[in-house]
Amino acid sequence: MKTQSRMPPEPVQNRGSQGSKGTLGRRIASSLENITLEKVTQVGFANALMNAPLIASGKNISALQETFLMKREGALVIAAGPSIHRYDTAKLIKESGFKGIIVATESAMAWCLRHGITPDLVVTLDPHASRIVRWFGDPNLTEAMLARDDYFARQDMDPKFQEDQLRFNRELLELVDRYGSWIRIAVASSASPSVVDRIVKTRMQAYWWNPMYDDYDKEDSLTRKIHALNNLPCVNAGGNVGSACWVFAHAVLGKKRVGLVGMDFSYYADTPYAQTQYYKEILNLVGPDRLDNVFVRMMNPHLGLEFYTDPAYLWYRDAFLEMAQQAECETYNCTGGGILFGPGIRWATLSEFLSGAKA
Amino acid sequence: MSDVLKGNFQPQRKVSVDDRSEELSSQFEREALKRLGGSIAFVSKTKFLYGTGRANEDSKPDAT
Repeated sequence: MKTQSRMPPEPVQNRGSQGSKGTLGRRIASSLENITLEKVTQVGFANALMNAPLIASGKNISALQETFLMKREGALVIAAGPSIHRYDTAKLIKESGFKGIIVATESAMAWCLRHGITPDLVVTLDPHASRIVRWFGDPNLTEAMLARDDYFARQDMDPKFQEDQLRFNRELLELVDRYGSWIRIAVASSASPSVVDRIVKTRMQAYWWNPMYDDYDKEDSLTRKIHALNNLPCVNAGGNVGSACWVFAHAVLGKKRVGLVGMDFSYYADTPYAQTQYYKEILNLVGPDRLDNVFVRMMNPHLGLEFYTDPAYLWYRDAFLEMAQQAECETYNCTGGGILFGPGIRWATLSEFLSGAKA
Repeated sequence: MSDVLKGNFQPQRKVSVDDRSEELSSQFEREALKRLGGSIAFVSKTKFLYGTGRANEDSKPDAT
């Protein structure tokens, strides 16, 4: 396992032929806020209604403030960006004796557990009906489902999910069954029935919350409407579960020093376009000759390396930078790759953060 | 504008521009963009939490 990443030459298949690079991608990113709201509102609200009985009888995230999580100093957020696989991340964490808490995305949970790291808190947010449950092990997964949706065969977040998927799913089911009762999970009211069912059956300790959908100060705000329905605290999740973990670390659990790993919001230059999150959608949108218009290339000044991103990740990144400047914590990006740099972000190696050294 | 751009003949039938193709294209783009959207909304606010009952929130929720 290497400790420094050097990227090979960029493959030719990632070079399109027409137009200004990334121009369309930046335009799409700037319009995603409204589009995303339209997309998630209906399903998020419908899931919140379905989850209402469990929410009413369960705990909400305010109860996390009565746990030992509040007593520890600092937090490390583990997200599922590709950099966690390019460094010896797990070894560094385990050997560091880190005394803070570990907050992980549900998409990084499998990676954590199989590397002997039990997160102190897992966060789940996305309302997708069939994909998110895969991070928990899907008890209903079939070959036919895999044939219909090749998302996990293509994604770059966890290479294990690209292997024999049915076998790996069985292994993950056992792993999460074994460790479930030890895991606290912050479950968004928007979570799909399949995810909630898995959380219940594995006896995870669930703490419910509402994601913010819109400005709660506006009249007819959906956020206010959902809050009135279930009385759960609402959290500005930043558009994605990785950002949500960071918000939980400082805004809910009060950590003043938060490190990030796996928060790439981008792809390494040697990643083929076909392995990116929204490849098929982008291909359908612009065709094969204009892909360079949509994918945006950015130079990371801390590493002197170029990464590329898609409109959704670029939007998440911009949203994170906006939030980081308002947060009452020091944020250390220890990812070692990607495009999350700028105001409000301190760049550090994971070793520096874990040992408490300031960047 | 019509004073500046004049044709040199008078068409026998009234010509109307069919903008349906543009409409379809826009509709297609919007549908495609929806699939690119994020997991959940990002709300540009200075506070991260709402409805916890804490005093330092931007505002209080409705009683209803």
